Amino acid sequence: MQDNQQQAYDRGITIFSPDGRLYQVEYAREAVARGSASVGVRTSDGVVLAADRQARSPLIERDSIEKIHPVGDHVGVASAGHVADARKLVDIARRETQVNKLRYDEPIGVETLTKSITDHVQEYTQTGGARPFGVALLVAGIEDGEPRLFETDPSGTPYEWEATAVGGGRDDIMALLEEEYDPEMDLASGIGLALEGLAEADDQDLDPEGVHVATADVESESFDTLPTEDVRTHLEERDLGGDQ
Amino acid sequence: MKEITDPYEPELASFQDADTPDTADGDDTVAKTGTTTVGITTPDGVVIGTDRRASLGGRFVSNKSVQKVEQIHPTAALTLVGSVGGAQSFIRTLRSEASLYETRRDEPMSIHALATLAGNFARGGPFFAINPILGGVDEDGSHVYSIDPAGGVMEDDYTVTGSGMQLAHGALENQYDDDLSLEEAETLAARAVNAATERDTGSGNGLVLATVTEDGVEITHHDDVTDLL
Repeated sequence: MQDNQQQAYDRGITIFSPDGRLYQVEYAREAVARGSASVGVRTSDGVVLAADRQARSPLIERDSIEKIHPVGDHVGVASAGHVADARKLVDIARRETQVNKLRYDEPIGVETLTKSITDHVQEYTQTGGARPFGVALLVAGIEDGEPRLFETDPSGTPYEWEATAVGGGRDDIMALLEEEYDPEMDLASGIGLALEGLAEADDQDLDPEGVHVATADVESESFDTLPTEDVRTHLEERDLGGDQ
Repeated sequence: MKEITDPYEPELASFQDADTPDTADGDDTVAKTGTTTVGITTPDGVVIGTDRRASLGGRFVSNKSVQKVEQIHPTAALTLVGSVGGAQSFIRTLRSEASLYETRRDEPMSIHALATLAGNFARGGPFFAINPILGGVDEDGSHVYSIDPAGGVMEDDYTVTGSGMQLAHGALENQYDDDLSLEEAETLAARAVNAATERDTGSGNGLVLATVTEDGVEITHHDDVTDLL
């Protein structure tokens, strides 16, 4: 009987446990922690997103592993956790971005976009018969000429960061970022720090093909993926791998 | 599943009878503004001038003290031109949308965004008989836009809409300058509206001036125009 009751809080996402917890949301956070890491670093020149996309087989086409998703010209997201769940949120983000442009003829703010994603995520912590999103996102973009970096989590709470990580090895990466982050750093240093963060979680040399890096640049106000060759150069400079 | 907002509809309510256009144009029982409304930009802000007459079929004066300019945003105002019902509803809708936008994002809408939204609503909704001027000030400076019934949105240094528009334009065309003071722009707006009220039967009964600066919107009524000329 005791056991059955315990299970009831466990199963219904709309049911609080007696101590006020939503177990399904906590399990969804666990799904995020099991995913490979994504790191975000905000610099004065722009925001860097870096994601680990190590392949489970050498036969897989690397480009089919989606960790970083462009959302609009000036904004994109990196994910950790269930990629399929991330894709649904990315599609919402893309549509909200276009609706804002159609409605107001101005690029959507990164904060506004993040909150439209988290409002959607929150609905799934309060709706019966559904499950929460098993994914956390880093949302990076340029808003009114300023770089902005946000995180969304499975509870539907938005956070803004100078630098952060989601996914496996987060605690180690955060320790490194808290030690090394400097708000005055330029974009190249930001890329270096983000890669060091990924290496911290991986605990081995990084393969340039297995790392996806993108930047939201203040000057061009655009969100762009870094070519693999540039990633290789950054990894070599920091002695993190890439020279195989 | 999350509903994606329709860019051509207000977020808070859908348009009623969007498929049955407002036929007020040919209907003598519907109050229309007739109207002359002018908007003038200056380096310090925007001046909007309107007459105060509402009429039925342009032949009977149904109200002699209509305020045809309303604040819709902390630093923007819109004129009522065309069907009174359509214009009042349009203003209520835009006012609530602008307020919601600012509350959510903690910054006011830009005037360009407000004009785009107004154009979308004019295009997507049942407001077929309106032709307002939007005037406002934001961090980029002073702006006036005319919004046409099909959703056309055009920015200009100065603009006029309403049944007296040709007359008012005649007065404005030679006297506008891009560095008028607010006081000079108020005089010019009064002259332009006065020129129309003298000859256009849809316009008359005094003047309302709205002065929009970065500090807000100030609206004043004038029974007698002559002291402003």
